[in-house]
Amino acid sequence: MSRRELLVRLVWGCRAVLGLVMLVPGMAFLLSPLKKSGRGTSFDALARMSELKVGEPRAFAVLKDLRDGWVKYPREPIGSVWLIRQPDGVDPPVVALTAECPHLGCAVNLAADGKSFLCPCHNSIFSLAGKPENTVSPRPMDPLDVQITSGPDPEIRVKFERFRPQADRRIPLA
Amino acid sequence: MLKSLTDWIDDRTGYRSLLAWARDFPAPGGVGWRHALGPAFAIVFVLEAITGLLLMVAYSPSSSTAWGSVFHIEHALWMGWFIRGVHYFAGQAMVILIGLVLLQMVVTGAYRQPREFRWWLGLGLLFLTIALSRTGHLLPWDQEGYWSTKIETNIVAGIPVVGPYLQRLIVGGDDYGNATITRFHAAHVVVLPTLLGVCLAATIVLVRRRRTVTDEIARTEAFWPEQALKNLVVAVVVVVGSIIASLALGGAGLDAPADPSSGEFPARPDWYFIWLFHLLRTLPSDLRLVATLVVPGAIVSLLFLLPLLDRLLPKKLAHGLACAVVLAILGGVGYLTYGSLRADAADAHFREALAEADQTSDRATALAADLETGVPPEGSTYLLRQDPLWRGRGVLERKCLGCHVAEGKGKGEQTASDLAQFGSREWIGGLLENPSSKRYFGATAGAGGMAEWKRASKLKPEELSLVADFVATFAVVPDDVTPDDWLSTKEIADHPGLPLFQKECGTCHVVDGLSEGGTRDAPELFGWGSPRWISRMVRKPGAADRYGFLEPKHQMPAFPAEQLTRGDLDMVIRYLRGDYFKTAPAAKAH
Repeated sequence: MSRRELLVRLVWGCRAVLGLVMLVPGMAFLLSPLKKSGRGTSFDALARMSELKVGEPRAFAVLKDLRDGWVKYPREPIGSVWLIRQPDGVDPPVVALTAECPHLGCAVNLAADGKSFLCPCHNSIFSLAGKPENTVSPRPMDPLDVQITSGPDPEIRVKFERFRPQADRRIPLA
Repeated sequence: MLKSLTDWIDDRTGYRSLLAWARDFPAPGGVGWRHALGPAFAIVFVLEAITGLLLMVAYSPSSSTAWGSVFHIEHALWMGWFIRGVHYFAGQAMVILIGLVLLQMVVTGAYRQPREFRWWLGLGLLFLTIALSRTGHLLPWDQEGYWSTKIETNIVAGIPVVGPYLQRLIVGGDDYGNATITRFHAAHVVVLPTLLGVCLAATIVLVRRRRTVTDEIARTEAFWPEQALKNLVVAVVVVVGSIIASLALGGAGLDAPADPSSGEFPARPDWYFIWLFHLLRTLPSDLRLVATLVVPGAIVSLLFLLPLLDRLLPKKLAHGLACAVVLAILGGVGYLTYGSLRADAADAHFREALAEADQTSDRATALAADLETGVPPEGSTYLLRQDPLWRGRGVLERKCLGCHVAEGKGKGEQTASDLAQFGSREWIGGLLENPSSKRYFGATAGAGGMAEWKRASKLKPEELSLVADFVATFAVVPDDVTPDDWLSTKEIADHPGLPLFQKECGTCHVVDGLSEGGTRDAPELFGWGSPRWISRMVRKPGAADRYGFLEPKHQMPAFPAEQLTRGDLDMVIRYLRGDYFKTAPAAKAH
């Protein structure tokens, strides 16, 4: 190897060192959002049974401590859930559907006649049981786990989760 | 395969001739380490641009979010502390590199004709690098950046006539805040780097122009690859040095969030301005313009005029004079810097303030990192302002410790009780044991009632302890509970200390539904040590249910809302009750 060749190789060596010092930490830095958030899910009380009428869906906000980057917001609405009370004797007595549309994540509303759910963004329509009534949404509205406490006016507790949009199955987001 | 691809690209773009133009040129004066500093400066600048761009992805320029976003970079994002550390230290190294380049130009006479413009561009690079460093310093919006920016812009304000206007333009108004950050941010990430890039490009053009037109240099060697290697080696040394500095010092460091209301923060300028700072503090105040304007102005003008000296004096004499001037300046700077460091090292007060600033910064870090606390939505300034340990203790020290003490320490002559752990079982137990201790009523004029009781009381120690247990339950009475509600809860109704309290204390102290008092004047005790009891004590110490029976001159002065805000009172109360976020290191620091 000639002296010149050696020098050229050393030049590339130095460039590689500088490149790696930038590239490796830089990529790690930019890939930080892939870090597991470690956000646990828990059951939160949303309403009491007496607030619900059979067959009439009502939306309730899920209030949770929210960590947005470095900021901590105490008890912030992080989502909305439709609760639908079922006729007596049906199990479960209350169905919870997240208001986030499985199509592209807009907030699903109750249609004006109160007989179906309607997403205002792309007009996906769902029955009150959450079944799609047109072909916009790839899957039914996402049901959430419900716990109902005992007592004269039981508390309805819901485990709020988010799911991957557009998928034809329910896939929880980590 | 690769060859045919590059051939194809070269055919369409001609990039090879561009590369050849960039590297295959003769290096005038030969190759050597002496020519590597300037190019290394340029390489490090490129690395600064890359790390800066990365930081920009996560930085949020506003007074409420800047500190939090930098904290997030440092502690939450992968390698964030490393990138910020390299960005910071390599930036400092740029100041050194360009300084060395200029020094070299003076010593070798390279500042003279026909290279005047290269000298002026070099000076431009120096000032731009310093400006980048200064603007970058503010961006984290921590104590260090805030106070040093305030000092520096106040120095600008001292310039006659235009100073105040200049300051307002730099700061973006009267106060340091959002407008300051957005301005500094724009300057730091776009304006100054662009100008620096333009100066660098112009310098490169000039270097190569001289190299191709003049034949004043006898020896020319190829730039590639020997000089390229030397340049890169210097850059690698700078980067490795920055990495070592980051590793050794734990990154660029982040002080507590900026707080304009904080007391004495021991702000010092960056190392290259310490001499000016020291000159400023050693001169009498009527001479301060000497430090803020005359000396820096003279140095800058002299440096700019240096190449023109040749026109007035013989060449050799001019060069000698230039060297002497620059060495004198460096000597003066070195002398003043050394003097400043020595003065600070000998200043116990400064070291104390520094230690306190470190503690505050540790506390802020602990609060921000914790999932329960975090940076409040109102902004990073409120991180510590809403922390009872920091804010409550601060307010207590300013408002209360003129008369009271805490753990025996006060700010004046003690004429009231020791407030440490006020409301606790331990405090009330101690009071019942020995009311005339200075910790309780021993230092309080006119408050001899408890001591009188103690002399007459025949309570056995275990009975005394039961009474203390009972009184300590007052401190946890919630705000919305009445004496009736409280007395009808089972634990209270069955408390073994209750009959003793009724018999021993109830003859003087009133508790609705429990005791009538009447023998002697005494404050009402329901809820003693609870937030609402303390709150009323602070707001209306002269009320009939507090210490209104004392002679006015012996009463505690009232602190109405104008003197002590609701929020600050809450902070003091929560501090006294120990109701704050606790970490092992912060507890030790306390």
